[in-house]
Amino acid sequence: MAAAALRAQLNALLANMFTTGMVDEQFQQLQSLQEDGGSASGFVAEVATLFIDDADRIIADIAALLDQPVVDFDKVDAHVHQLKGSSSSVGAQKVKLACMHFRQFYEAKSKEGCLMALALVRSEFCDVRNKFQTMMQLEQ
Amino acid sequence: MELKAKGFTSIKALLVEDIEVCRLVLSTFLLRLHCEVTLAMNGKEAVDLFLEGKKFDIVLFDKDMPVMTGPEAIVKIRAMGETDVKMVGVSADDHAMEAFMSVGADLFVPKPMRMEALGPIIQEVINKKKNDMV
Repeated sequence: MAAAALRAQLNALLANMFTTGMVDEQFQQLQSLQEDGGSASGFVAEVATLFIDDADRIIADIAALLDQPVVDFDKVDAHVHQLKGSSSSVGAQKVKLACMHFRQFYEAKSKEGCLMALALVRSEFCDVRNKFQTMMQLEQ
Repeated sequence: MELKAKGFTSIKALLVEDIEVCRLVLSTFLLRLHCEVTLAMNGKEAVDLFLEGKKFDIVLFDKDMPVMTGPEAIVKIRAMGETDVKMVGVSADDHAMEAFMSVGADLFVPKPMRMEALGPIIQEVINKKKNDMV
């Protein structure tokens, strides 16, 4: 496909990610850094890849904790906090908000609530992961 | 690990952060602001750097890290007599500000730290360093 068409597709994807609230100004800042030469080309892709790998691992760890007969809610807290930090650093707004929503359930030590909250986190993460992967394919 | 912005080595920054993606983002911001960046993965690595005699103009700490937290590291580093180095707490934790300020941090910035917030902080460190050299 012609470069211009691919660029248009990429721009449309990025615009959609912003207007739906999937990403926020933090992601915009990372893009600006790459575009104005403040960081190497591929910087945004590197950040997105690291985030995807990190979040994949954290979500799996939380699921394993919630699968235990006795749930260690302090560890769940620590993992969710970690995911909140990494998602906010890349601008994955919906994942960050899902992490914030999670807090009330592990503070209440509600396994059922945590499972529902984890499902939301996983859903938001899958959405942004798919978009990031499409973005990286278009950038190549 | 040390990273250097090409041609500029005016401010020595230590970034203490266990999450890799957060390290990448913040270190990129610092390099963009022409800082010489050293990375530590937790509070103990940061303390060890000071024990080795390394000098920094500014240290940015995440709060919750394995082995040693940011506030714990600040207590130990300040106890070494490192009162001049600017210590900045950075965290997504809503209750982190008190944890950092109560142990001697100069500043707390919530995550995610933006370039607009970091720029003036680095400029203040540059200005102080210039004044100290006069």
